[in-house]
Amino acid sequence: MSPADLTAELEQLHAAAFGWALSCCGWDRTAAEDVLQASYLKLLDGRARFDGRSSFRTFVLGVIARTAREVRRRSALRRWLPLASLVLGPEAADGRPDPATALARADDTTRLVRALERLSARQRQVLHLVFYEDLTIAEAAAVAGISVGTARTHYERGKAALRKLLEKEQE
Amino acid sequence: MIERDDHQLREGFEALRREDAAGTPPFGATVAAARARQATVPRHRALRLGSAVAVVAVVVLSIWRERDGVRLQIDLATVRWHAPTDFLLKLPGDELLRSVPQLGSRGLDRRTL
Repeated sequence: MSPADLTAELEQLHAAAFGWALSCCGWDRTAAEDVLQASYLKLLDGRARFDGRSSFRTFVLGVIARTAREVRRRSALRRWLPLASLVLGPEAADGRPDPATALARADDTTRLVRALERLSARQRQVLHLVFYEDLTIAEAAAVAGISVGTARTHYERGKAALRKLLEKEQE
Repeated sequence: MIERDDHQLREGFEALRREDAAGTPPFGATVAAARARQATVPRHRALRLGSAVAVVAVVVLSIWRERDGVRLQIDLATVRWHAPTDFLLKLPGDELLRSVPQLGSRGLDRRTL
């Protein structure tokens, strides 16, 4: 894929990629922008290369998920090792939803985000990929780096837990 | 029942997607920020790498010195401290107590006994 084609494809996926980065970063906008920039950098300088084994969309979402995991790991390391910031650089964000984004949301969406935050990370990821990104469970499994069976279990349990949480929120 | 619930969830996520899309930063700005980051990364990386190498070198050197027994030795036996009040401990005739009396051959002459 030529650099121009790659940029054009990324531009088409940009909104979906940002939504996925937000979900991976617990709806922290600053952290999501940081993860998205780092992911684009990997894609543009060739560190993450598309080999055509999956759809381009699945591949890009997978790169974002991996980058978000790396950022989380670095943050955890920074918390535990005081000198790690010398090697890893400054921390980007605290991983919590920022107040401006939370205020701009409608009530129903706020309830949904709050309920999603209470699910396990895997359940939240699979539900987001299926409902938000319109992926199949198999594609969601490829993005999250888990087996299809595991993804299906997370999907079913996550849906049931999310419904219960939303009912509780409405009461 | 399940399908209706799925539909509700789908609608909820659709609304979330619309709200997120409204706040999505422009693609051009994100790519420009990523490129700017790329420009600063080598300098930061060299600095961080240098710090890491220095820390590792210090650790390796100290382990190596420890293993080979090359360490700073302080021989306490060569250091003798004299208190200013030591003279008070000197008693008159002290040297008699620290030495063995030498008896001359005359003194031990059996004939004189």
